[in-house]
Amino acid sequence: MRRMRGWLLRLGGMFRKERREAELSAELESHLQMHVEENVRAGMTPEAARRDALMKLGGIEQAKEEYREQRGLPWLETMMQDLRYGTRMLRKNLGFTIVAALTLALGIGANTAIFSLVDGILLRPLPFANPKDLVSVTGTYPKGAFEAMREQMQSLDVAGYVEGYEFNLTGRGEPVRLSGTLVSAEFFLVLGARPELGRPFYPGDDKAGQDSYVILSHALWQQRFSGDASIVGRAIELEGVSRQVLGVMPAEFHFPSPKTQVWIPLHNDPRDTIAYWAGDFMPIIGRLRPGATIERARAEIRLFQKRVFALFPWTMPASWNADVSVVELRSGMVADVRARLFLLLGAVSLILLIACVNVANLALSRAATREKEIAVRSAMGADRRRVMRQLLTESVLLALIGGTLGVLLAMEGLHLLKAALPADTPRLADAHIDWRVLAFTGGLAVLTGILFGLAPAIHSSRTAVAGALKSAGRGAAATVSHRLRSGLAIAEVALAVLLVVAAGLLVRSFWALSHVDPGFRTSQILTARITPNQAYCNDAARCVSFYRELVSRMKAVPGVTSAAVVNTLPLGGRVAKRALDVENLFVSPGETPPLFWMDTVTPEYFTVMNIPVVAGRGFTSADATGGSPMVVITTSTARRFWQGRNAIGSHIRLSSDKEWREVVGVVPDVRAYDLQKSIPEWMNGTVYLPYSANATLENGRVPSDMTIVIQASLDEAQVRDQLQRTVAGLNPEVPTGEVKPMSAVVSESVSTPASTTFLFVAFALLALVLGIVGIYGVLAYLVATRTREIGIRLALGALPRDVLWLVLKEGARFSLIGIVLGLAAAVAVTRLLASELYGVSPADPVTFSAAAAVMAVVSMLACYIPTRRAMRVDPMVALRYE
Amino acid sequence: MGDKADVWQGTLALMVLKTLDSMGAQHGYGIARRIEQISGDLLSVNYGTLYPALLKLEQEGYIESEWGVSENNRKAKFYRLTRAGRKQLARETRDWEQTQQILAKFLSPREQES
Repeated sequence: MRRMRGWLLRLGGMFRKERREAELSAELESHLQMHVEENVRAGMTPEAARRDALMKLGGIEQAKEEYREQRGLPWLETMMQDLRYGTRMLRKNLGFTIVAALTLALGIGANTAIFSLVDGILLRPLPFANPKDLVSVTGTYPKGAFEAMREQMQSLDVAGYVEGYEFNLTGRGEPVRLSGTLVSAEFFLVLGARPELGRPFYPGDDKAGQDSYVILSHALWQQRFSGDASIVGRAIELEGVSRQVLGVMPAEFHFPSPKTQVWIPLHNDPRDTIAYWAGDFMPIIGRLRPGATIERARAEIRLFQKRVFALFPWTMPASWNADVSVVELRSGMVADVRARLFLLLGAVSLILLIACVNVANLALSRAATREKEIAVRSAMGADRRRVMRQLLTESVLLALIGGTLGVLLAMEGLHLLKAALPADTPRLADAHIDWRVLAFTGGLAVLTGILFGLAPAIHSSRTAVAGALKSAGRGAAATVSHRLRSGLAIAEVALAVLLVVAAGLLVRSFWALSHVDPGFRTSQILTARITPNQAYCNDAARCVSFYRELVSRMKAVPGVTSAAVVNTLPLGGRVAKRALDVENLFVSPGETPPLFWMDTVTPEYFTVMNIPVVAGRGFTSADATGGSPMVVITTSTARRFWQGRNAIGSHIRLSSDKEWREVVGVVPDVRAYDLQKSIPEWMNGTVYLPYSANATLENGRVPSDMTIVIQASLDEAQVRDQLQRTVAGLNPEVPTGEVKPMSAVVSESVSTPASTTFLFVAFALLALVLGIVGIYGVLAYLVATRTREIGIRLALGALPRDVLWLVLKEGARFSLIGIVLGLAAAVAVTRLLASELYGVSPADPVTFSAAAAVMAVVSMLACYIPTRRAMRVDPMVALRYE
Repeated sequence: MGDKADVWQGTLALMVLKTLDSMGAQHGYGIARRIEQISGDLLSVNYGTLYPALLKLEQEGYIESEWGVSENNRKAKFYRLTRAGRKQLARETRDWEQTQQILAKFLSPREQES
């Protein structure tokens, strides 16, 4: 109570200061007079009496200061005072303020932008009900195993889903290919996500025969159905199958990825043994039931994994899902991007560090000129803590200005970042700047202010009062300051070198990657996905003749050199795998025959793609229409299964077929899956089959989602136009999708390394710019403080060359030390980048030397202006200086 | 001034309250002199400690102040105990005596032996 009253009075004490001040002065003065009078009465002379009273009572100004502290709320008052004073100082030194605030804005802005990504992708809870109960099972399971799991798990409600399905939407204007996700009936219930219209799937909706449903994404609903709510309950035509629209998901629902346009129930049919037990292996998500823990779910899933083998109609390899576990859904979703995000976060923290060092350096050089001011303030009764606090307040104020600018920069930057990052980055849409990010930035700004303000503040507050008041403040303190400043500049150079090395490695890696010979022609080829309904292709002959007709019509278009179709376009992100029997290759019973990639192509494919036939022959149009079955293999396949002996004339068979196919030719491998490797370790080889009714996939069907490749001298729009017209002329229900040049297909396949490289290069440039400012600052200060010395040297006969050397030596000294330290740090740190690198070692000597050279050149550039200023010193002016 | 002890903060408040209690309204100089006299000139009170302490007591409502005229016709600010101040004095005196007794027991030689 009393305390409270005291506080309130003290808060009030901050106002009406003049009157209170006057009262205090009067009170102290009357005290002094009474003392003097008493001394006089005791027999002292008036002068002695006054001196005695003053000595006894202590300094009046200190007493007033202590009184003031009790009167108001000193911390609040001091802060206001410091803020006012700080604002005035910042306004007075506008140049310094602008440079420092911009430097900080860059550092804080970059960090805010990256943090908003980290926050949106890694930290923020998933936008579902009770997100902490959501888990994912680390293995993948076929429908049969999933249904068993659904029945047996006590601690979890589970749901399975398969991404990457496609459905033609027809009967509503131009046909279009949609991306769909097959989901088990509990999918939306487990996630706790409600449609914005209609209802979700309910248990039972995924049983074969009762599953003709679909749920639309908000975006699709807007684009194709113009947001018409009456669509719910009506039927739409997907892949020639009529499905009832049950609901529309809200715009912010993006699970499993923003690509999904329709959710379709799984088609669970135990009678279809192959599809039920060997079809899609699905990722499984789950929700912990009330009271269940993730540990219990883990134990339960391990037990389930032991029992599930017995359910399969055949023997599964013992290693299948051996290390199955249950993890938080969020961490499971973003496992792939986490490492890359942390790399980016690491890089931007380095930038912020450089920015801090930079501003600390600027502040130090200003502090040197403020030594006198600070000395005066100390003499006036400000203690060391008070001076430090004043300086820190100024720093924090500056950092907050920088932070505000930084947020503005970050808002722009986040757009750029989102555009630069691959579009399939999970939860990318969740990243935005909100109060969490702003809180982070605010905290960062204050921390930054303290970080860069601390060194100058400690240093300045230590300034000896007497010394500084006497001299102009260029005594011993200047030496200490110079050492500190050089240290900071060295740190700055080292950090910049580190970032330049990292960026250099990524650039070299990306350079290597984009100069990989993919093994096929990439220019003057237009590709497009031509996809009849699956039902249309159930009649294999009809499907084959459709594509054959399409190819021949396109070849007849003037300007088109050649055309072909292929089921899996290299680097297009799709592969088809198939188990094959190889002649004379013994497979022990119970083991599965080796898996191959299977490309089915029309005869001109090798010509269009410029893939040379290195042995035997390619396909002819006769091979597709009849004649004996045959196959073309790749060189790596020939090497692996025929060990250098002639493969031509040997035989291969699709493992479900009776008939053997003769190997008629060998072609070189192409980069089919990614640019890094021609074939991953887990694949045994690649075979090409002529596209015909008996070139079937694992599901026994002929591929019905072929990509056409057209070599033409026409421009893209013309070919596209011709193609769309030709397809519509053949079958108006068939959509023409993903029309793009082959070169775009290739560059999209490296969008992830491209974005990482781009960002690191941007960061490195930022670091270099900040580095230049930093070095310049130190040297400019050096020249300014030594103008007199330089003048004397010149007067005594030193040549401009010697002066040049004097300054350059200093600049060279700390840039060399910085470069060496930076390279050493890089050796230790670039290992973290190893997984992002292709064709270049993390300790690549070329990159390291180049980074050192770049930094050296940049340092010398930064030396240029200060050096020139030093050389122009006029001895007469310099000697009169001060 | 060097060989005299400075008054430490907590006890100064108590001394001020006691002084005002026994002398009635008094100005800062008078309070300081009185404390020094009673201590037998062992304590020295300077502005820097006295006036903030007076202000604090006033803020807490234990004393109140008013401008008046001193015995030598000098304008001065006079401090006077309030009712709350009297209570506070009694409370602090009690606390202080208690503390003193406890400390005395600790420090007496007999206590150390047993």
